[in-house]
Amino acid sequence: MTISIWRYSHLALAVSSFAFILLASITGIILAFQPISEQIQPYKSADFETATIAETLSTLKKSYSEIIDLQIDANDFVLASVITENGESKTGYINPKTAQFLGNKIEVSPFFQWVTNFHRSLFLKSTGRFLVGLCSFLLFLIAVSGSVLILKRQRSFKKFFSKIVNENFNQYWHIVLGRLSLIPIIIITITGVYLSLEKFNLLPTYNTSHNINYDAISESPQLELHNFPVFKNTKLSEVKFIEFPFSDDVEDYFTIALQNREIVVNQFTGEILSEFNYPLVTFYSELSLNLHTGKGSILWSLILAIATANILFFIYSGFAMTLKRRKAKLKNKFKKDVCDYVILVGSENGSTLPFANVLHEQLLHAGKKSYITEMNNYTTFIQAEHIIILTATYGLGDPPTNANRFLELLKTTKQSETISYSVVGFGSYAYPDFCKFALDVDSAIQLHFKQFLPVFTINDKSVDAFKQWTNAWTEKMQVPVKIAEDKLTSKPRLTNSLTVIHKTEVINNPDSTFLLTLKAKKAKRFVSGDLLAIYPANDYRERLYSIGKVDGNIQLSVKYYDTGLGSNFLNGFDLGDTFKARIINNAAFHFPKKAANVVMIANGTGIAPFLGMLDANIKRKNVHLYFGLRTKQSLELYNSQLESYLQSGKLSRLEMAFSREIESSYVQDLLLKDEVFIAKRLKNKGVLMICGSLTMQNGVLTILETICKKYQLEALSLYQKNGQIQTDCY
Amino acid sequence: MKIKQILLVSFITLGLLSFTTIAESTKYKCMIQMTNYTGEAAYVVISLINPDGEYEKTLYVQGDDSEWYHDVTDWWKFYGKKRNNLDAITGATVAGGSRTINVIDIDDSKIDAGYSIRFETAVEDQEYYTKDVEFPLTSENVKSKKEGSGFIRYVRMMPN
Repeated sequence: MTISIWRYSHLALAVSSFAFILLASITGIILAFQPISEQIQPYKSADFETATIAETLSTLKKSYSEIIDLQIDANDFVLASVITENGESKTGYINPKTAQFLGNKIEVSPFFQWVTNFHRSLFLKSTGRFLVGLCSFLLFLIAVSGSVLILKRQRSFKKFFSKIVNENFNQYWHIVLGRLSLIPIIIITITGVYLSLEKFNLLPTYNTSHNINYDAISESPQLELHNFPVFKNTKLSEVKFIEFPFSDDVEDYFTIALQNREIVVNQFTGEILSEFNYPLVTFYSELSLNLHTGKGSILWSLILAIATANILFFIYSGFAMTLKRRKAKLKNKFKKDVCDYVILVGSENGSTLPFANVLHEQLLHAGKKSYITEMNNYTTFIQAEHIIILTATYGLGDPPTNANRFLELLKTTKQSETISYSVVGFGSYAYPDFCKFALDVDSAIQLHFKQFLPVFTINDKSVDAFKQWTNAWTEKMQVPVKIAEDKLTSKPRLTNSLTVIHKTEVINNPDSTFLLTLKAKKAKRFVSGDLLAIYPANDYRERLYSIGKVDGNIQLSVKYYDTGLGSNFLNGFDLGDTFKARIINNAAFHFPKKAANVVMIANGTGIAPFLGMLDANIKRKNVHLYFGLRTKQSLELYNSQLESYLQSGKLSRLEMAFSREIESSYVQDLLLKDEVFIAKRLKNKGVLMICGSLTMQNGVLTILETICKKYQLEALSLYQKNGQIQTDCY
Repeated sequence: MKIKQILLVSFITLGLLSFTTIAESTKYKCMIQMTNYTGEAAYVVISLINPDGEYEKTLYVQGDDSEWYHDVTDWWKFYGKKRNNLDAITGATVAGGSRTINVIDIDDSKIDAGYSIRFETAVEDQEYYTKDVEFPLTSENVKSKKEGSGFIRYVRMMPN
């Protein structure tokens, strides 16, 4: 079944029952505190576990003139109903060994009674009970459909609890809290349904009937109470209640309810007159009641309260997400067949839609006829000249729900081949399959139309990156498109406070490159290869730097440009200065855990993550580094670090290429020279990591492709897919 | 005139005395055994009925949620107006098939004086029995067993 059906059911169930669930949750949270308030009373005796029926009954007999009954509640309090020597009747808690009266019976306060009533039946008697039971069942279905949605998202049972990315407050916490409170909620709902079924007599019923042969009943041989074998051998902790004989008549007897059975005991001889085994349904009923109410366990009561509070949050965040999705609707001014420009959107949770809408509005504003729709609505567009596809990727490289039929439709729809197209992918570096679906679409659509601009990927809804793309597009298309940032930006969450602890001078380096070492205030988990996002002007403009983790600190290698927004911002700091930034998990570019052999290829500031990875290579894995710089003097900045790695064995071999020296060479040349070695590494499951400029990356990939062909290896794309070739270039 | 005055004074004195006299009372153990009906647990109200057949006093209420008291219709007409505090004489509702024992307090002056004791029962969404069990308070009856006509199978009483 597709995800949309599950999501639709999840929503439909929630919409149809949320009002009742809301009321039941609020009252449920309050009620969780009733068992807690009972349990904190000091009525549980230390002797409770060891006392036998015989001990308790004989001390009670001595202390009170008459005992009516004895009950042991879920808190292990012993509640006795007695008549004192003064003829006063009392119901309260006693110490089972000394018969000391500890306190009067806890009466459920009128407030809790009122709330319980409301929780059970909304004051609507049977109708209310039915509604509450039904909603409990619906909530169970909501929990199940929610779990299926998580499973679909995470793609496997194993990954059910693995990390998800915080892209959106409501969505993130809806999932995180949903997973945490899933089990308590399922227990609450199942027991709730069970208790309702019980109220409506839909469970198998039984009568505790005892068959007592009254003709055979005898008063002799008479035994003292404390000598009754059954009383001596039964611990009080196994007892639920004891009913005392009504009178001295031999036909009146003790009735004792134990955990799984009820026995009737002759009050003179101690003989067991009858035994009745409770059916399983009593066990389930008691279990349901205790699990549903939290009776007898403070911890469980608290878990119930928290899980129920989470339900309130789910109602809020669920509707907030739905409203957001609805808001981002696509509106058209022109019919599809008169439009020159077609914008197709693929989005799972609606966050790509604002970008598409802004583009659409701008095209209309520029006097163009633009048509916008979801990718699944792909059809014939008679007048279309240019198609722009903006799409997110869902889960592990899958299409978003509203684009899952696109590739199929693309094949079956007849369309003019003169159309040109551009694809923009939205995604997050935190996922290994960054923008995978956009790349898939690009390669599929190439077969039908002309590529206008190469596929462009945008991390984390970066408005800046989107502007870069629109600028390139505008320039080539000669259609003015201006992006209003305020419509797209949400304030960046700057979570990391960083202090400058070391910085080299720009003027000391021939390439105006400097090293900056930062100490993170909160020891947030990050590794080399992750990205540091800074917001120099405190607006939507974001600059990313690849992190090298050296001695637990963040080491950046930054090239300074006179007008560079990011480099000026970073260069402006003095030692001890503090600023806020954000660390982005870049899962696709981490030092491999499994591979034994690693080849690093870098140029310029691209060395930064590798310096950190080498520092962390305490296992002394075999690492070869190909490093390209302009001049020998450029190397001074990194020399001491690289030398120490070579000496300690963290780095096995260093090959340098200098482009501005007399014997000019590039890393590509080094690779070509070592082609046998590189081929062997690829064949033997070694990992190649590339970091630096895009020009270098393209050059390196071309050479690798030739090597693959020459040495009859697999296709290069396969190594990229299985993670043997990893890139982080800019 | 004198006689009238004396009579008046003695009447007032007697009246005052009768107010201050502590009425002798006895506790009775009372066991209610329910029939094996299915459904919600029953509300059982035990009342003292005067010789005219009217409610005089509530002796015990099995059922601690006053929300549902109005289901015990006839008694509610008597109790609902004043709503005396019943805290000391309430217990839990009684489920089908089970039994409950409670202790009720009856003035000795009501025994063998034309008064009766009434057990009325009500179950949510089921019948209501005004006189599930009712019998005259005689010294013989207060140590006997009486069959019920509704949800109660029988009631046993015994002076303590």
